[in-house]
Amino acid sequence: MPNNAVVERLDLDQNKYDFRTVDQPVFRTEPGLSEEVVRAISTHKEEPEWMLDFRLKAYRIYLKKPMPTWGSDLSDLENVLDQIYYYVRPQDRMMNSWDDVPESIKDTFQKLGIPEAEQKVLAGVGAQYESEMVYHSLKKEWDDKGVIFDSIEDGLRKHPELFRKHFATVIPPADNKFSALNSAVWSGGSFVYIPKGVHLDTPLQAYFRVNQERMGQFERTLIIADEGSRAHYIEGCTAPAYTTESFHSGVIEIVIAKDAHFRYTTIQNWSRNMYNLVTQRALVNAGATMEWLDGNLGSKATMKYPSCYLIGEGAHGSILSIAYAGDGQHQDTGGKVVHAAPRTTSTIVSKSISKGTGRATYRGLCKVYEGSTASRSNVECDALLINETARSDTYPYIEIEERSANVGHEATVSKIGEEQLFYLTSRGMTEEEAMALIVRGFIEPIAKQLPLEYAVELNRLIEMEMEGSVG
Amino acid sequence: MAEAVADRVGQRWGAGGRLDREAVERLAAHEPAWLAERRMHAWRVYEATPMPDTHHEEWRHTDLAHKLPLDALRIPDVEPLPDDQRAWPLLLRRAMEEDEDAAGHLVLADGCVVHTDIRTDLTSRGVVLMSLREAVSAHPKLLREHLATQAVPPEEGKLQALNATLWTDGVFLWVPRGVRLEHPVRVTRWYSEPGAAYFSRTLIVAEPTSELAYVDEALSDDLDETTLTSTAVEVIARDGARVRYVSVQRLGRGAFYQAAQRTLAEGDATLDTLNVSLGASTTRVDLNARLLGPGAESNMLGLYFGDGDQHFDHNTSQDHVAPAARSDLLYKGALDGASRSVFRGVIRVAKGAQQTDAYQTNRNLILSEHARADSLPKLEINADDVKCSHGASVGQLDEESLFYLMSRGLTHDQAERLVVIGFLGEVMQRLPLGSVSTKVNRVIEEKLRIGVHA
Repeated sequence: MPNNAVVERLDLDQNKYDFRTVDQPVFRTEPGLSEEVVRAISTHKEEPEWMLDFRLKAYRIYLKKPMPTWGSDLSDLENVLDQIYYYVRPQDRMMNSWDDVPESIKDTFQKLGIPEAEQKVLAGVGAQYESEMVYHSLKKEWDDKGVIFDSIEDGLRKHPELFRKHFATVIPPADNKFSALNSAVWSGGSFVYIPKGVHLDTPLQAYFRVNQERMGQFERTLIIADEGSRAHYIEGCTAPAYTTESFHSGVIEIVIAKDAHFRYTTIQNWSRNMYNLVTQRALVNAGATMEWLDGNLGSKATMKYPSCYLIGEGAHGSILSIAYAGDGQHQDTGGKVVHAAPRTTSTIVSKSISKGTGRATYRGLCKVYEGSTASRSNVECDALLINETARSDTYPYIEIEERSANVGHEATVSKIGEEQLFYLTSRGMTEEEAMALIVRGFIEPIAKQLPLEYAVELNRLIEMEMEGSVG
Repeated sequence: MAEAVADRVGQRWGAGGRLDREAVERLAAHEPAWLAERRMHAWRVYEATPMPDTHHEEWRHTDLAHKLPLDALRIPDVEPLPDDQRAWPLLLRRAMEEDEDAAGHLVLADGCVVHTDIRTDLTSRGVVLMSLREAVSAHPKLLREHLATQAVPPEEGKLQALNATLWTDGVFLWVPRGVRLEHPVRVTRWYSEPGAAYFSRTLIVAEPTSELAYVDEALSDDLDETTLTSTAVEVIARDGARVRYVSVQRLGRGAFYQAAQRTLAEGDATLDTLNVSLGASTTRVDLNARLLGPGAESNMLGLYFGDGDQHFDHNTSQDHVAPAARSDLLYKGALDGASRSVFRGVIRVAKGAQQTDAYQTNRNLILSEHARADSLPKLEINADDVKCSHGASVGQLDEESLFYLMSRGLTHDQAERLVVIGFLGEVMQRLPLGSVSTKVNRVIEEKLRIGVHA
């Protein structure tokens, strides 16, 4: 067993995200939720009638659905939901140039390194601050090829037909309590369309920042990847640490047409006062591939299970999930793959680390419907427990109705091995260095799938104050 | 004897009546106060517990409202068999004939014990094997301590409460300190009345360093109405004891087999179980293995083979309460026809249960287009110095093995049979109880002969 001082120092460095900006929003609704709040959001966004109807219908579904009694402890959430701001508008309209973004907000994103990354490695950037996208920009070459990368509100305004054809078809409001809530009060998020055959060689990125205390952020993203296209979308999330709880509940819908290839990466590093309850789902058509890369490092409680519905022959879904649960955190994460067509394949790889009083839960579903002949799925879960107060759970659900399907699930739970530590320290490493190396080795299969700068970031996040000079 | 039994069934138990408070009162009327109070308490728990429905995680895949018409079930109203083998049905006789090498036998027909025998050398060493009803007066102290208290109390669930309030008879086996049984105790159950609800209990206590094996076999013909056979099984292995518990379920169609089993393994005890589920329309087994002392060990084996529209639901848990204990579970099943299985298993490692070794494996073979298998293996780990893993798989027959066997001259059906036997055989190999393996293998082969693609 490594000594406690060493364990204490093995932690995520969240301080760099813990800064607050003092600013004055141009509008916000009163705390709490009511039909008036729903109407006010719709009015402010100058939405068509059908969207207001949709929101109100979803609001009623939300009121009817009971609070989930499984997963993270949500017993305090009702309280939180009564007190948060559901809609905070930070500026009058969205900008396409950082120069036009108000100084205080721009400063926030500069501290997070977004404009810099945009120039270097990204095809487009969207930045959401509180309830609205404050910045959205796409490089000209992609704009010329017909790629759409807009705020969700602009998607509704500028592409009403395409929007309405797909909106809420992947995740209907009644899917779960929080998808209903999001459907009622959604604000911000991206609208993405990748035209037939277009291959984006650099990622699109959306960055979500909550600055206001007691804030509820409800972003809604709709992505359509047309036939044979290829793209990668990254979202990052942070917030300063307040003493009161905040709430983030996104709905991400993705439609992947025949033979397209789409990857969606989330690195969530919310402050530890955030409830993060997200519904993410992709419909994957014939020959297409969906990859979810899901990193859950922050928040107080996260419940998030990215899903692939494989609805066309030969569709492939892949979910790579990594969770870190430190003191007081519960990461209830995993993934769902539903095989509903022949020769569909899927893999889920999940790695979790629990430390202190942290709890990491893998919760997953692999379902194969009858008729999905010759489908294959493999699920692997590994959990690492850093000390004796940490907790790890694994809840895989495997439901197979098809004879010719082959499905496997393996999971292990272990601690940092005495022997591994001994071996490394006998080679001259300090205990700190040895532990850092073991932890990095543990997450490496996922880190190496990330774009380089994110892999570096992930490694730095799981970092220790080391006396030596490893890393 | 037969008359006495008939009297018990016909008058005291309210033959043909409903499962209601009056039935409980009739049972309690002639019992000592402590037991009568226990029944009434269980009835209150039953009434206060809602019927589990498919919104309950543990009952998500077995819809009781659909599969168990509790309101239609009746207390059995049938003349029990006499204690005379010649008058027994063929299936029961044949099962008994295979069980010659036994430490003792006990036969339950339609819910009450009709035959008991035990080797005299064992009675002289203090071993007790008797009907639970007799034990109420013969061993009140042991029963008061263990019956429906630590292992399967009514608070465990709606059906457990119903059993605790309405049980009519069962098995009591007690092995004193240091006594080792060379041969297994054989219990055979026969059920004949369609539409009846049977409730029985098994209580096994192995005192420190004793050793026993117990084999329970349930039989019936096909029953043309839904018939409930409910059993509560409580097995306690004291320090250093070694217990093997085997249940073989070969009921006919129409039966709803419900078993609530809990095993308590104290320090250095070994408590192994095997559940073989072959018959019945619906099978629901809840098995909870609790490891209560350091050095305790539980090997949990299970085997199921379904065809037609059979439904199997195995719900297991491995509770590591004490440190330095070990548990290893292997459940394997093959599913033909439109049969369906659910395996739901959890390893729970309590805070402080360091040096736990716990494993869990569930493997399923789907043999036909309409069969279905669900597997939900779970881990809940609250300590860090542990070795825990689980694995689950659902797959079909390996084409290469089939091809290999067919190239050696076997027909497709023969090859398939052989591969299935090989697949399920891994479970039997882990159980060092020769005569039981022989019996189970024979029953599987029988079922395969009729079963595959029937």
